[in-house]
Amino acid sequence: MTDERTKAFFGTGVEVNIDALYSVALRLTRREADAEDLVAESVAKAWSAIGTLDDRERFRPWLFRILHNTFISDYRKHAVRPDEASYSDGDCEDDELATLLNEQSDDFLVWWANPEREFFNNLLGESLLAALDKLPEAYRTVVVLVNVEGFTYDETAEVLGVAPGTVRSRMKRGRTLLQKALWQQRPDSTKGANNDS
Amino acid sequence: MTHDIGCMRAIEAFYAYLDGELDDPESIADFEHHLGHCRSCFSRIEMEKALNERMRKNARRESSEALRERVGKIMDKF
Repeated sequence: MTDERTKAFFGTGVEVNIDALYSVALRLTRREADAEDLVAESVAKAWSAIGTLDDRERFRPWLFRILHNTFISDYRKHAVRPDEASYSDGDCEDDELATLLNEQSDDFLVWWANPEREFFNNLLGESLLAALDKLPEAYRTVVVLVNVEGFTYDETAEVLGVAPGTVRSRMKRGRTLLQKALWQQRPDSTKGANNDS
Repeated sequence: MTHDIGCMRAIEAFYAYLDGELDDPESIADFEHHLGHCRSCFSRIEMEKALNERMRKNARRESSEALRERVGKIMDKF
């Protein structure tokens, strides 16, 4: 099974995905050196486990599942944790979530459409990553895999070992929490008459 | 035939639509019909798209040359 053709297939697959592996690893560990260690260790583990890849079409989710599992087993307890507690990770029913999204988005839209938006566009880039990094891990991982790396909900479910319905609900809550975080950390000069709730 | 699904049902389908996960043509048609008639939901979708684009731009990173060399050395040992 581990012949030259398999090596070539594996090498190409890693090469094509290495930037995405690093981007996801960085959002998981939130530290560049740890992210590089995680990618290197995951590639070595993936090669050792190449015999478990039944369908080569599923290489990408299979590879990222190994990355995610390696993070959980070897890195999670050492990962940087910036103030995750400020975003509630409690249960949230769908109707509550819809209400939260509905109410929050109105304020967020007003802010987003602010004519001074250009002024803090650069700051928003940093704010966006800060807000993303503060999301509880379960939501952050789903948002990064789907929104940043373009995984489908089914592929994301495969990476995380959860049901597709769980990915769908984590996406909704993760994106809502992300907007809430951006709204809360928007620049003082844009707060104006809007309520900061 | 499309019918207006209202804002609450549209919000439920927001991210599935944006992420290309609404695969039922009737659901897509209903959602898009609502967007065509609701300025608020249309604006939200545009905002969400912009937020997605900004997130992709900021969170996608290139791996360092050092990492690529390190991974290359690991694979050389296979």
